[in-house]
Amino acid sequence: MQNSEYVRSNFAGSFEEDLSAPAAADISTASPLSAFGITDAQAARFLQQAQFSSTRSEISSVKSLGYSAWLARQYAARMSPSAWNFLAATGYSVAQSTASDQRFFSNEITPMIWNQLFTGYDQARKRMTLALSEFMVVSVNPLDAFWPTYLMAAYWDILKANVFGNFRNLLEDVTLNPAMGRYLNTVGNLKEDPATGRRPDENYAREVMQLFTIGLYKLNNDGSIKTDAAGVKQESYTQSDTENLARVFTGYDLDYARSRQMAVPYLSYPIPDPEFARGRLAFKDSDHSTLAVTFLGTTIPANTPGPVAMKSALDTLFNHPNVGPFFGRQMIQRLVTSNPSAAYIGRVAAAFNNNGAGVRGDMKAVWTAILTDPEARTLPTSFNAGKVREPIVRAVQWGRTFRVTSTSGKWLLYQQGSSEYGLAHEPLRSPSVFNFFRPGYVPPNTGIAAASLVAPEFQLHDEVSSAGYINYLADFVSSSFGYRNDIKPNYTFLLPIAGNAKALVAWVNLHLTANQLSANTVSLITASIEKLAITGTSTDKDRLNRIYGAILLVMACPEYLIQK
Amino acid sequence: MANLDTLHRRAFLKRAGAVSALGAGAPLALNLAAAGEAAAFTATDYKAIVCVFLFGGNDHGNTVIPYDTTNYALYEKIRASVARARPTLAATAITPKTAQTLTDNLQYALAPELGALKSLWDSGQCAVQLNIGPLAAPTTLAQYKSADRKANPLPPKLFSHNDQQSVWQALGEEGTTIGWGGRIGDLAMSSNGTSSLTCISAAGNSVFVSGDTVLPYQISPGGVSPVYSATYDFYGTAMATTMKTLITQRSSNVLEDAFAGVTQRGLDLQFQVANALKPITIATPFNIDGQDNRLADQLSIVAKLIAARSTLGQKRQVFFVSLGGFDNHDGLLTNHGPLLAKVNEAIGQFYKATVELGVQNNVTTFTASDFGRTLASNGDGSDHGWGAHHFIVGGAVKGGQFYGKAPSISITTEDQVGEGRLLPTTSVDQYAATLARWFGVSDSEMPTILPRIGNFATSNLGFMT
Repeated sequence: MQNSEYVRSNFAGSFEEDLSAPAAADISTASPLSAFGITDAQAARFLQQAQFSSTRSEISSVKSLGYSAWLARQYAARMSPSAWNFLAATGYSVAQSTASDQRFFSNEITPMIWNQLFTGYDQARKRMTLALSEFMVVSVNPLDAFWPTYLMAAYWDILKANVFGNFRNLLEDVTLNPAMGRYLNTVGNLKEDPATGRRPDENYAREVMQLFTIGLYKLNNDGSIKTDAAGVKQESYTQSDTENLARVFTGYDLDYARSRQMAVPYLSYPIPDPEFARGRLAFKDSDHSTLAVTFLGTTIPANTPGPVAMKSALDTLFNHPNVGPFFGRQMIQRLVTSNPSAAYIGRVAAAFNNNGAGVRGDMKAVWTAILTDPEARTLPTSFNAGKVREPIVRAVQWGRTFRVTSTSGKWLLYQQGSSEYGLAHEPLRSPSVFNFFRPGYVPPNTGIAAASLVAPEFQLHDEVSSAGYINYLADFVSSSFGYRNDIKPNYTFLLPIAGNAKALVAWVNLHLTANQLSANTVSLITASIEKLAITGTSTDKDRLNRIYGAILLVMACPEYLIQK
Repeated sequence: MANLDTLHRRAFLKRAGAVSALGAGAPLALNLAAAGEAAAFTATDYKAIVCVFLFGGNDHGNTVIPYDTTNYALYEKIRASVARARPTLAATAITPKTAQTLTDNLQYALAPELGALKSLWDSGQCAVQLNIGPLAAPTTLAQYKSADRKANPLPPKLFSHNDQQSVWQALGEEGTTIGWGGRIGDLAMSSNGTSSLTCISAAGNSVFVSGDTVLPYQISPGGVSPVYSATYDFYGTAMATTMKTLITQRSSNVLEDAFAGVTQRGLDLQFQVANALKPITIATPFNIDGQDNRLADQLSIVAKLIAARSTLGQKRQVFFVSLGGFDNHDGLLTNHGPLLAKVNEAIGQFYKATVELGVQNNVTTFTASDFGRTLASNGDGSDHGWGAHHFIVGGAVKGGQFYGKAPSISITTEDQVGEGRLLPTTSVDQYAATLARWFGVSDSEMPTILPRIGNFATSNLGFMT
């Protein structure tokens, strides 16, 4: 294969030296504790919360470093190539567009985002970026603009750049990002006009409060809702706050001055190059509201210059006591568990409020607090414990565990989000700013509802998607997929243990579920694949079939799908 | 609130639910026998209600539009750059079948894209409910502005998408688990041979069709997909039996158990539904303009399920379908018309399909949405509001009439709370009660579905026969 060397060298960093000999040590049940007292299963469980895969070398790394130092190493790791650069390197330009392939209008972000997720050694950063992308949501679906691909790449890249930074900077970068500006209508938002009755667009003002910072109700630090003397929940903002804050976000537009306009022979108008899609929105003073802004107890005086008003508004949001528990709870839900205790939320919120060095909003402190908390690190025994693994996370875990590569280097995937035949979930393609699932979603008529619990990701699970996922899985586990079978997993390293069904299932159990399958499930799966006999004359094809069978059965089973 | 009668009923329904959960794949006769125990709701005919939910908050101001010159001028002034041009409305101007005098002598036109609804209005199968929205009790502007929320309760989290979607569907903010469609289903499921097909969503998980007992069944527009690897041994392994066992394995972990429960339900029904749908053909096309229409796709599978009602033993069904994209803060004039065209095509063709099936008098379709929007423009769109206008379509609808009180075309009158966000004069509870009564719910049962219905003057808005 002509391109395999290119692929190998280009993405060699992705998988390190890992798994070349997954034999005795991997299937041993008596793997020694590390100096930190961490077992293989504990390390795998941690890795499945903190990133996607839990390969042999990754498990070893956690065991030898301990959780905190391992995280510190991730925080310090160099960033792998950006989404923007992937587009630039794979032919997304005005010059490489044609009349029949006008790439500046395409919203096909699938290769870009799955390349980001499937590759790069900075896996924890990407896992947490994915979580952020489901909190501060931009979806490419309705983006009507030049270069939706670059707009989304730049959005992903700023989330990724800020994920180990400070929440205040994240909030500002998101607010002034062109994709977000286009998605929630800050782009082109004009000041009020008393002559026509026109008023500022309220969309961003409302959603930045409801979804990105403070939420609907005043919260205690442990995430519980504050009530008044009569027991009524206290709302955190009013319609008046929304109308006032909307004034701050007037006067912004896409910054086409950054782009070169390029003529194309097949259109009567020029096309801007993608530069406007990164960096910040342009501010135009004459379109900015000069009215005073009174919101959340702050007043920004009339005639305050736009950028100053913006700073003041974002500071007010950032310093609101809700942000720590509101953001913290949802990040716990994304990474660890659907129903964290109030005390756990409180500890994470405290880390948000103060990283120990007097800094508020230190994201590293938040991730560390979430992932090293006793509630995250102790295997729960409660029947109420766990979370549904997100479909995207399952797919990326599979891809990274089995080292998928792109033959062309262009990651020619189709969209994966169909519920009839697919994941029912897809990065950067949420149906609305409310994400694919809500933090408070309760599956009706279930034991989850009866126990007054929530299960956000369960919102994606229904009679259609349950079959659609398993059918889809059955195909992609066992074959190449994507355009011209561009994407291929590599199971060769497992062939040596495929003859031993017990060893194979034990391997899959550790690396995909952190040994969370019950003994009964393990024996059922083992018996099922053992029926396909492997003898001295068996071919690799038979061995591969055993591997496919084990992976499919594990990834379809509720003991895997509910991550504990 | 619940009288003895309803308590007995509910106890029975619990049992019926248990039987059905076990026996969805069991012989029809067994379920029918179990249902025979039910004294009430002994339906012999077929009835269905279909909720068409317009996600994002439909701009009612550009859906049902002032047409008389005086009110159009007010509309045009307030809406400015997002106003529809008056000449384009001539063909879809609507006149009540029986003369009605509306507020400020308003006359309305439907949006130009709503030609099929206009025809159904003219022939008497489409009604318009004016200014409806969530209310805890009848509310004046002064009460809305009052600081005393205890004395003047409001629906939770007005203007918030997710919460108002939930309030419309389930009378409570996000996180509410029982919808009023589901509650109606709770009462009706004993009438059905396959009780698990009482409440059906063709649009993914939706609280509207979740009951206290009744479980919503999800179907995709393409029909039913089996889990192939639970039927066939993939990869030369002996997989199918194990697959089926594993994916439906009950567990003491509540999440695992619930997850397997949903999958189990899908497996139980996959062959029954697929076999029932197999012989169904509907000649009425659902896509007549060649454009993608996910709403029409969903209504197409609903029509097929209705066509298969006898095979499936169904007498009473509640359906949920939806279309997104209505949150037009920007580009209202560009985006809204094409969306309404989809609504028009989908509901219009669905009505024709019910005529083809001879059930047009047995199926009632109604629209719902997060909220209405501001009448005032933000430049090229509108923002989140409250009350809105909605459509009810079907042969049993007393169509060609307006119901409710028309709001003034204004951003200063007492029937709005600012910028033309309508203060509803009819509540969702009343809308629901009117549909539920037609469906077969008795007055004494109404409070179990709609606990606040007693706060309102009437539980019958009059738009159903």
